[in-house]
Amino acid sequence: MTSTTRLLEGLGRIYVGLLLAFLYLPIVIMALMSFNASPFYQLPFEWTTKWYSDLASNAQLLAATWNSIEIAIIATVLSTLLGTAASIALFRYDFRGKRFLQALLLPPIAIPWLITGTAMLIFFFGVGIGRGLHAILLGHVALALPYVIVVVSARLQTFAPELEEAARSLGASQWQVTMRITLPWIMPGVIAGALFAFAVSFDQFVVSYFLSTPGQATLPVEIYAAIRKGFMPEINAVSTIIIVVSMGLMLVTARFFKFGGEK
Amino acid sequence: MADVRVEKVTRSFGAHKALDEVSIVFPDGGFYALLGPSGSGKTTLLRMIAGFDYPDSGSIVIDGDSVERVPVDKRRIGMVFQNYALFPNMSVADNVAFGLSVRGEAKATIAVEVQRALDLVQLGKLGERRPHQLSGGQRQRVALARAIVTRPRVLLLDEPLSALDKALRVDMQVELKRIQREIGITTIFVTHDQEEALTMSDRIGILRDGRLVQEGSPEEIYDSPASEFAATFLGDANILPGTAEGNGLRLADGTLVAARSTVLPAQGRAASCAVRPERIAILPAAVAMLDGKENSLAGCVAKRIFAGSVSTYFVDCAGQTVKVLVQNAGQPRLGEGDDVVLRWSPESTVLFAS
Amino acid sequence: MATGGASRRGIGPALPLLAPAYLWLTVAIFLPLSAMAFFSFMTELPMSGKDWSFTLENYAAFFSGALYPTLLWASLRLGLEVTFWCLLIGFPAAYVLAKVLKGRVREAIFLLVILPFWSNGLVRIFSWAMVLREGGILDTALNAVLPFKVNIDLMYSYPAVIIGLVHSYVPYVVLTCYLTLQAIDDSLIEAARSLGASRLQTLRRLILPLAMPGLIAGGVLIFVPVVGSFMEPRILGGRTGTFYGTVIEDQFVAVFNWPLGAALSFILLAVVLVILAVAAPVLRRAQ
Repeated sequence: MTSTTRLLEGLGRIYVGLLLAFLYLPIVIMALMSFNASPFYQLPFEWTTKWYSDLASNAQLLAATWNSIEIAIIATVLSTLLGTAASIALFRYDFRGKRFLQALLLPPIAIPWLITGTAMLIFFFGVGIGRGLHAILLGHVALALPYVIVVVSARLQTFAPELEEAARSLGASQWQVTMRITLPWIMPGVIAGALFAFAVSFDQFVVSYFLSTPGQATLPVEIYAAIRKGFMPEINAVSTIIIVVSMGLMLVTARFFKFGGEK
Repeated sequence: MADVRVEKVTRSFGAHKALDEVSIVFPDGGFYALLGPSGSGKTTLLRMIAGFDYPDSGSIVIDGDSVERVPVDKRRIGMVFQNYALFPNMSVADNVAFGLSVRGEAKATIAVEVQRALDLVQLGKLGERRPHQLSGGQRQRVALARAIVTRPRVLLLDEPLSALDKALRVDMQVELKRIQREIGITTIFVTHDQEEALTMSDRIGILRDGRLVQEGSPEEIYDSPASEFAATFLGDANILPGTAEGNGLRLADGTLVAARSTVLPAQGRAASCAVRPERIAILPAAVAMLDGKENSLAGCVAKRIFAGSVSTYFVDCAGQTVKVLVQNAGQPRLGEGDDVVLRWSPESTVLFAS
Repeated sequence: MATGGASRRGIGPALPLLAPAYLWLTVAIFLPLSAMAFFSFMTELPMSGKDWSFTLENYAAFFSGALYPTLLWASLRLGLEVTFWCLLIGFPAAYVLAKVLKGRVREAIFLLVILPFWSNGLVRIFSWAMVLREGGILDTALNAVLPFKVNIDLMYSYPAVIIGLVHSYVPYVVLTCYLTLQAIDDSLIEAARSLGASRLQTLRRLILPLAMPGLIAGGVLIFVPVVGSFMEPRILGGRTGTFYGTVIEDQFVAVFNWPLGAALSFILLAVVLVILAVAAPVLRRAQ
């Protein structure tokens, strides 16, 4: 390796370190502030776990947290099931209008959530679906579906159709082929798709915001309301817990499925 | 054009010495093959000459200029990569033009030079194609045209034919040699394919574990390998072990083998000799009596492989299997289990000290 | 998309697998968008009980004064600036990740870059408020280190909005560019260098063109949501944080003029679609 190359690579590593510092600065600050006594985030730092005990008695915030978790889990399951089925159909069959159906997946991803969210608000209100947790779930599944289909389809691209044909020639039914050959192969894609779906739903603020009603809100909506009112330090506490848990889950998953590492 | 001199070049990766004081002179206008198994350091050496890596110590001189600390883009070399490395975002003509264009040549000059290079590799009409629209052989030619259009001082080839199938590879060997002669450029060619090294190069250097173990013309190395490794790595050879005696050695079963040798190992010391399979005559035992003379062994055919123009016999004798290659020129064929006598001349025997 | 060797035929056998997903998308996305288009031409919402009629007034309102076009332009500029900074900051990191780091280190860093996706965006934006305001973390930290008094109060300013948005969206660029850069064979870069190209020439003439799909994909993924953002400007921008997105939000949650909100949304949608339509052929050509 030449000396110039080594110098540039060293600078590159430092640069990536700085970027990571930038990315994690607010997260670390938030975690620290959740243990800081001053409710106005004043320094010097004074250790307390008051906000965590306050959180335990904040029924509204806890309810919103559970709403978020429940909706995210249900939306993940539904969008993964529907999305995987659709991906397999798009992969296995060729028919007129297929390209159009694939193109239809683009709008939910490409249109700003502000527009999608307000459109859902108008339509759900107009046809009597109304607002509330059921409306939020309806929206979240639709938002997550295209992501699942795109991710699972990408995985299906690596699947050799001859495997299905070989299994059929060995006497397996279409259903057996799907369950025993196709699904196991695309499972990493399905799980990646499910992770995306969970992230889209759990972190979703805009669409939830327009579809929520007082008392029927998700955590991001409650946090936004609290911030606009002047913030409660308990939000640092609940956010810290959520970030630690979700990052932990991601790390565990990543240990099983290598993302982005060596091919 | 220019000669390339590599002197005492050493390069370590951690504790591993990839190159250990390697010195080679690559003659002006010559076609030099660096031959060796993987891990022998041949690719490391080529990349040092190219300038992708710098030696820990030693010098690299191209055309009288010391270049061991000159970065690759300033060395004026041409290189053909194993996978061709054609730029997928450019047409064939733009690929070939790249080197001239980054140098800031005038557009008109570039067009003329690119066309000349493409004509030379017989792809004059494919300039507008994209790399992915070409066959393997065509890509190879584009990569070559791209490497020579800048008139580099030396052409470096990193296993350029290994991605081609057998038939195409032979065609390209001829073609590559023709182009190299036509422009007379000093060429350094890395390969692990002995046949390629033998047929294409004027000189071969054999590398092993980061050291140059032998160097010479293909004939010299094939006829007079300097070590068991060189004998078996370049071409096929039967290695017969024994103890040094007279101008040859005595095998374990008592047979005396005479060798053509100028340097003799100390008498009584362990030694071995190499005999090429095609240099051994195989005769039915009934016809040729084993008369206890030198360079002759009795044995039994263990296996025969018929391959059209030649047959290969595997003969069990003196406790080892000897391989014999015979032209199928109408002589009676021997069967498996036949008793035979093997004979070869001292001129066909190369002696090594063990 | 590859097809399982099946010949072209009717949608029949695919229907049971496709129908649930596409029905869901129809109910939750396509019908709402159509409904919004419809309502944007009304004077009042039909379900409000008031009399309503068709009108172009909502669209006329956009052009009636300088307010809405100015805000739309401010939002587009915000989108462009955030996209620019994200590409500038993210691309070198993606390059280091794809071409310098190797093995487990690369895997770990890559994971660290995309991990914030799984934390709450809203909270990340708010924690910037703690960092940037006067008497906040940055202010206190700098004054503790520096011998002279500085006054850092970036809160409720345009730079605060930019910082917050760049922080939220830069991982997208790292992700998309990493994927395209990783696909570039190292020998291509070496070939360019062996032909006499300097590092800069190699970057400009080979690496950037080959990474273009990643840059454009990352750019689109950032630009589109930023143009419609309202939460980040509200929290970090304060009074300077009035953008097109915040005005649309107001129509729905404060002013309750839904038809005007729908019209404003549709104008935004049209602008976004035009931009996507321009980007699409570039993307396709780059592939």
